[in-house]
Amino acid sequence: MIALYAVALELVDLPAVTGVDGAAIARIRSRGLDLVFSSHDAPAAASDRAVLEHARVVDAVAASAGALLPARFGHGYEDEAALERAAAAAAPALRAQLERVRGCVELGLRAVGPGAGEPPAARSGREYMERQRARVGECDRLVRDIDGPLLSLAKQGTRSMASQPRFSLAASYLVEPARIPAFRRRVAELERAHPALAFACTGPWPPYSFAEIEA
Amino acid sequence: MSVLADPSLEQEVTLLELVDRVLNKGVVLRGEITLAVADVDLVYLGLNVLLASVGTLERIELEAV
Repeated sequence: MIALYAVALELVDLPAVTGVDGAAIARIRSRGLDLVFSSHDAPAAASDRAVLEHARVVDAVAASAGALLPARFGHGYEDEAALERAAAAAAPALRAQLERVRGCVELGLRAVGPGAGEPPAARSGREYMERQRARVGECDRLVRDIDGPLLSLAKQGTRSMASQPRFSLAASYLVEPARIPAFRRRVAELERAHPALAFACTGPWPPYSFAEIEA
Repeated sequence: MSVLADPSLEQEVTLLELVDRVLNKGVVLRGEITLAVADVDLVYLGLNVLLASVGTLERIELEAV
């Protein structure tokens, strides 16, 4: 089978890295897209090491390509012909995504709140529902307060929030490298403005959260 | 707010973030790490801007072997 690492534009040279389980990486050029993959007898199991090996190939290809969409780990095809067919069918959509992420990196943000603790038992179903609504409303406001200022520095963003058992926001932003310092300063400001939350800003990453390789 | 200068926690958060991205959006394969982070008294937890490349993670992993 074939494991896909990335779809790239303007890939000059295939970087000198090995893929998952030490497999050699190869590429197919199809309709101006470079498809970087390795061949395996069986699908590789997800482990920390395999994930790192996958990410290492994505990083190396990103360094020598004009633009890149990372594939998720385990995105597999039966053989090279199947990969080429899928890429040809999705070429316009892939190209549009590649142009959108071109020149940008992904920054990740997590913000986690303290546990709410066990609330006193609600006296009625209505009281319970009202509390729940207030809790979700409070979390939605926090998301707007955090996400808004960061999104204004980004080309695009994605976010997911959980209100139970504690407030937890996971967001990703597509950012031009020149704006990374401003983005980090803004995270530091948010950190000061929300002392009860723990923040972690990670990256720059290849644009994993902005790549939809459906094919 | 104090900054938590715990390299092992930084490594764990960064690895969690990487795994989350490489496997899939929203996959919580290593949810225990998120919980471990959240179990630290958050008043004292100020994970500051965190930077790590895959190269860094690989060094960490090799050193751990």
